[in-house]
Amino acid sequence: MSSEILGFPGIKDEYDIIIVGAGPAGALAAREAAKKGASVLVLDRRKELGAPVRCGEGLGAKYPEKFGIKLSPGAISAHINGARVIAPNLKDDIIIRTPETKGFVLDRKVFDKDLAKDAARAGASIFSKAEVYDLIQEGGKVKGVKVNFDGGKREVRSKIVIAADGAESVIARLAGMKDGVSTLYDTDYGMEYEMANVKLEENGKDFSDLIELFFGREWAPRGYTWIFPKGKDVANVGVGIGGLEAPNAIHYLHKFLADPRMKYRLGNASIIATKGGAIPVCQPLKEFVKDGFMVTGTAAHQVDPIHGGGIGLALNAGRLAGIVAGECALENKVDAASLDRYKKIWYEEEWGKFGKRLALRKVLEKMNDDDFNSILSTINDKDIDLVLEGKFAPVVQKVLVKRPQLLKVLTVLVNL
Amino acid sequence: MAVTINHDKCIYCGACVATCPYLALRLREVYVEVYPDKCVDCGLCVKACPMGCITLPKK
Ligand SMILES: Cc1cc2nc3c(=O)[nH]c(=O)nc-3n(C[C@H](O)[C@H](O)[C@H](O)COP(=O)(O)OP(=O)(O)OC[C@H]3O[C@@H](n4cnc5c(N)ncnc54)[C@H](O)[C@@H]3O)c2cc1C
Repeated sequence: MSSEILGFPGIKDEYDIIIVGAGPAGALAAREAAKKGASVLVLDRRKELGAPVRCGEGLGAKYPEKFGIKLSPGAISAHINGARVIAPNLKDDIIIRTPETKGFVLDRKVFDKDLAKDAARAGASIFSKAEVYDLIQEGGKVKGVKVNFDGGKREVRSKIVIAADGAESVIARLAGMKDGVSTLYDTDYGMEYEMANVKLEENGKDFSDLIELFFGREWAPRGYTWIFPKGKDVANVGVGIGGLEAPNAIHYLHKFLADPRMKYRLGNASIIATKGGAIPVCQPLKEFVKDGFMVTGTAAHQVDPIHGGGIGLALNAGRLAGIVAGECALENKVDAASLDRYKKIWYEEEWGKFGKRLALRKVLEKMNDDDFNSILSTINDKDIDLVLEGKFAPVVQKVLVKRPQLLKVLTVLVNL
Repeated sequence: MAVTINHDKCIYCGACVATCPYLALRLREVYVEVYPDKCVDCGLCVKACPMGCITLPKK
């Protein structure tokens, strides 16, 4: 039995909104829904929010300010001023320093907790070490959750349940939310070491304020390998490979770490944390809501299909879900049609960029290492900036002069 | 039958859980639990695992 201590502010029997998962999506949803005046319960399986980290921790500079998040000093491991893209030959590179490539490498153990604190201050009630193992469903409608807390199992009811349960998305799937599009092929699988005694420079070049992305089938088939600095000699070194690429992510990470060309930079580094996980890099879910139920963040496949970054998109999606949930709960209109306003706004705000990047991913997946080597020796930082902005045509033209065999693959982008 | 997870190697990242179409795997904070009654030995999680620590039962 669970302990029943008089006066302990435990989980109540009923709330307006229950949010499963206190990652970036869940925390922002909680903050916004609570701000609207709804009663909000947040349940997270983890005994310590934010830990263990399963993330490269890179976040674009614009996000925190845009979504009203004040980063505490501890939440920032490094300030990033640009990106370095490295060809499969590990030699040719392009360094881009633009507003789009400015950002942070976070400490998610601190960042996730900060977000939860903000949600709590807004009035949400948060519980860690509280695993939701099932949903209460009546007549095909979600009416609440079944949670394992303090050694006891119990049911909690609500008008709306929001699944913000990340890549596993068990809760979303228990409610029958499937995309019907994505497959193993459209998921990236990642493995990462946080390493100390890393060299963030070589041959007089300083990389300590850059995120580095290494492309090529040899290093990361249908994905990329990364070095994200977390301090002057500390970095997340990881690899994400496309689903079904054999054998597995750790194989490619170890291969990269063992390559003689990386010896100077990583040869004497130590492993101070081991992380991994899945990242859906496909279409978002077909539906984001059903009666009394919403899905948000990575659980809804709201992840950048090019770089697999999901924090920024989770923050915004969670925020939008929370606003709509809060309003609908107070109006007592929690049918799918009312909640669907969340999807409408999400598409207005995100789809323009998302759709283009989805198309770009399909193109990048078709390229081999010779293509990458050729392209990265042809284009410059301004070209990459154009690509990031979704202006493909001039860059495609330039690439085709040197590599006409890519004509068929690349024309898709020109017609977008 | 059901898949076997090498818990000495597993980093409970949940990649297998995300992949399993049958919800036969669940992340339990510090380990991954296999539900043998749901597992159909399809092997998708074996392919997904970033650590290569899941195996199918021997035929
Ligand atoms: C190796 C790797 C590297 C990555 N690198 C980056 C990067 O550099 N930049 C970036 O932007 N993104 C990166 N991502 C993706 C990013 O981590 C996610 O997209 C992001 O965390 C999604 O936020 P979320 O709130 O949707 O889900 P999550 O952050 O995953 O939060 C989900 C929460 O739900 C909880 N939960 C799940 N199920 C239950 C349940 N049944 N009951 C209770 N609680 C539950 C979990 O404990 C967790 O706290 C990376 C991912 C991986 C795997």
